[in-house]
Amino acid sequence: MTDKDVIICRCEEVTRGEIEEAIRLGLTTMNEVKRLTRAGLGLCQGKTCSRLVSDILARETNRPLQDVKPSTCRPPTRVMPIGVLASLPSDSE
Amino acid sequence: MRVGDHPILGKVEWGKKVTMIVDGHPVEALEGEPIATALLAAGRRVFRYTTKLNEPRGVFCALGRCTDCVMVVDGQPNVRTCVTPVRDGMVIETQVGLGQWCYSKKADKKDG
Repeated sequence: MTDKDVIICRCEEVTRGEIEEAIRLGLTTMNEVKRLTRAGLGLCQGKTCSRLVSDILARETNRPLQDVKPSTCRPPTRVMPIGVLASLPSDSE
Repeated sequence: MRVGDHPILGKVEWGKKVTMIVDGHPVEALEGEPIATALLAAGRRVFRYTTKLNEPRGVFCALGRCTDCVMVVDGQPNVRTCVTPVRDGMVIETQVGLGQWCYSKKADKKDG
């Protein structure tokens, strides 16, 4: 097993090699990497891998880490059954 | 193994002994403890198999963030066992891939 085989996104089972290859195709943002490789789109929604992915992205594109913006986040931020949302009162009530 | 007298947390007050059904076999647990804790205490390390590579997974972060410890609990897949408390008679199954919804016999009885 080499560095390339190390799993970065545990939910979607995306390896370091796959992410580096995607960046070499010309990707420069977290959103692009997410959409091409699916890293960060799994059940935990990138809670585990986003820091690792942004670090790889910064190194591969020779940028300081603070220049790598996080990918877009949308609610809900936690896994929840749809019944929780359905039970919320609507505005008209 | 369970730590009953922790150097920082002190003495643990054990909950009531209950039984969960894990892949069809009864497993003793303490009421209110996380499912993952009971499974580890019973010597179980593999909780699920991954979707793409079919690799075994178990507890990773143990605080409800990483979702590596998810299993099928009472017919509901993707339940984080490290933050879900044990109840008596809970039916727990090893999750394969994304898991499937399955209705337990209890739910069938309720419906009809």
